[in-house]
Amino acid sequence: MQITPENVSEGLRDAGYIANQRIETAIFLALALDKPLLIEGPAGSGKTEVAKVVAAMLHTELIRLQCYEGLDEARALYEWNYQKQLLRLQADEYQGLRWEDVSEHLFSRDYLLERPLLRAILAPHRVVLLIDEVDKADEEFEAFMLELLSDFQVSIPELGTIRARERPAVVLTSNRARELSEALRRRCLHLFIDFPSIDQERRIIEIKVPELDTKLAEQAARFVNALRKAGLKKPPSIAESLDWARALTRLGVRELEAASVRATLGLLLKHEDDRVKIESKVGALISHSHPR
Amino acid sequence: MTTPMREQLLRFVDELRGEGVRISVAETLDAMRAVAAAGFERGPMREALAASLIKDEADRPLFDRAYAQFFGRAHAAEPRQSDSHSGARAARGGPPNSGAGVMPRPREEPEESIAKAARKAKIQKPGQSDQVRIKPAGEADRDFSDEAGEKNSERREAVGTEATRQARLAAIERAPFEHYSALDYEMAHDLLAILIRRFRVRLGRRLKITGRGRVDFRRTIRAATQRGGTLVDLRFRARRPRHIDVLILADVSGSVRYAATLMLELIAGVRESFHRVRSFVYIDHLAEAGFEDGHLVMTPTLDPYARSDFGRVLEELWERRSELLGPATLMIVLGDGRNNRRPARADLLGDIAHRCRAVYWLNPEPTERWGAGDSAINQYARHVAALIPSRTLHELEHALLEAV
Repeated sequence: MQITPENVSEGLRDAGYIANQRIETAIFLALALDKPLLIEGPAGSGKTEVAKVVAAMLHTELIRLQCYEGLDEARALYEWNYQKQLLRLQADEYQGLRWEDVSEHLFSRDYLLERPLLRAILAPHRVVLLIDEVDKADEEFEAFMLELLSDFQVSIPELGTIRARERPAVVLTSNRARELSEALRRRCLHLFIDFPSIDQERRIIEIKVPELDTKLAEQAARFVNALRKAGLKKPPSIAESLDWARALTRLGVRELEAASVRATLGLLLKHEDDRVKIESKVGALISHSHPR
Repeated sequence: MTTPMREQLLRFVDELRGEGVRISVAETLDAMRAVAAAGFERGPMREALAASLIKDEADRPLFDRAYAQFFGRAHAAEPRQSDSHSGARAARGGPPNSGAGVMPRPREEPEESIAKAARKAKIQKPGQSDQVRIKPAGEADRDFSDEAGEKNSERREAVGTEATRQARLAAIERAPFEHYSALDYEMAHDLLAILIRRFRVRLGRRLKITGRGRVDFRRTIRAATQRGGTLVDLRFRARRPRHIDVLILADVSGSVRYAATLMLELIAGVRESFHRVRSFVYIDHLAEAGFEDGHLVMTPTLDPYARSDFGRVLEELWERRSELLGPATLMIVLGDGRNNRRPARADLLGDIAHRCRAVYWLNPEPTERWGAGDSAINQYARHVAALIPSRTLHELEHALLEAV
């Protein structure tokens, strides 16, 4: 696919991703300039979704590395399959093979466990590499990844240096559990995905929950938007507002009114404090949500 | 890209740097490439610059303002006064920062970090007409002097709900406690949850990397299988919380009470990283502190109008609470050391420091006021392991990390 701004926005539309100028430009640049894209934003605003959509757009596979505390090279890059090597050794034992012959087998690709980063490097064509929640990984791992992201090659002592044939398109996401290093930020393009505007949210609901009445979708989008501005502990994410919209269709709600909203509030608010705070205000929030 | 365009971008980068945004040379080059790829149309060009130059969403409102002023001015059709000015400057090829300050810059500040802090502090002052701080994002557009409605919707898109919140939190983190309003104090609580999580991670990591302690046999063997059964790297059990008893004395008299309560809450949140935590507050007496529903509760209740007397507090601690002072005790004092000219009893602090593992003093007062007037801080300073400035939440967090 030719990378042009038009193609990117078309591709996003085809994949059913409602984006704004900011998201479109950032994705286009990441692909055109071949730079990693660091995405930040509140939980559930569609950060991970971007990587999936980019993969769909490029008609390629998505390789995902989920970060967590204590993630190390063995889990992220490669590891020798020791159990298999051991079996091979035992099988070879009685054939009187010399060590040179054995070792040649033992340290070949057959005995290598490829972890996501190595898979992305070995891929014969351009893939999308998603490094999810990079803020959860340790600082040492971040430093190791920086090196990898700059030239996409690894040295495996037994096999030599492997270089990526096609540089993968890299998407990193972060929830800010800790500050990422300046070096990582410098190397990436930065995209912040915020909660959508009312209009965008309405379009997202319409695409993902097509059976919901258009007018109700508009009301739902307004209501959720008002909730997010109410200073809650955990404002509802897009995923939650979609769940809620689905619940509304299942319950056969035709018009937003206090009783059904109260009954389904648990889908939007996951903190008891938030629920108590909002429950008394539901009526007022709904009357604001009716399109004027 | 044409040379004038390139120069203009360089000037824009310089403008942002003047505002305290840190931009490297590599990022500047990225920005050039990004603009060349995205084109010079208003929307794409702005987003291309933002994606390559702004790596922290808290800086975004600033970027938007700078962009509107800079390129609004440069792209205008009729040569207004400011236009001819910038044109002349380009022709001369003079230093990009000379003259025509587009925005008030904290130029007089000596260091960049201070300039940044001051800039952020400025953002949070309530009286100012700063759309970032006070109003919800939607309303902010109205007083943003702009020509077209189309542009307004662009801005609404740019500064969303969460982005606004983040910008405010970032501002609060660097705002001196002495400038806090009640509203800021409330915002600071939101930030505290983030700080507590971060603090825990940092503390936890520090405990983990100490390569001593008991060997974890299972994990060592597992690691050895990767090395053909040779015990090359030893793995250790996760260390238990270090045997540290934290003892906190926080001044809750008017001038420093925000700092004190926030610190007590922060420590309460990371309580399980220590063996034991005892928190006290003081003004002229000592009182045990606790939290109920996020509110500070002290027993006995202190008279908020009393005059600080740390000397007496030290005496009380030494005489009645000496069981709290032992070789595992890490004492952290937070206060400005203003004793209303009563006896400082710094000698007593010396004795206490002798009995304890260490005494750290965190001072939320600006450094230049230390020791001036009735401040006895310099007398106390002699007896503590370190005297650390903690004017802002950011500094406070780092001071605590240094202490524990």
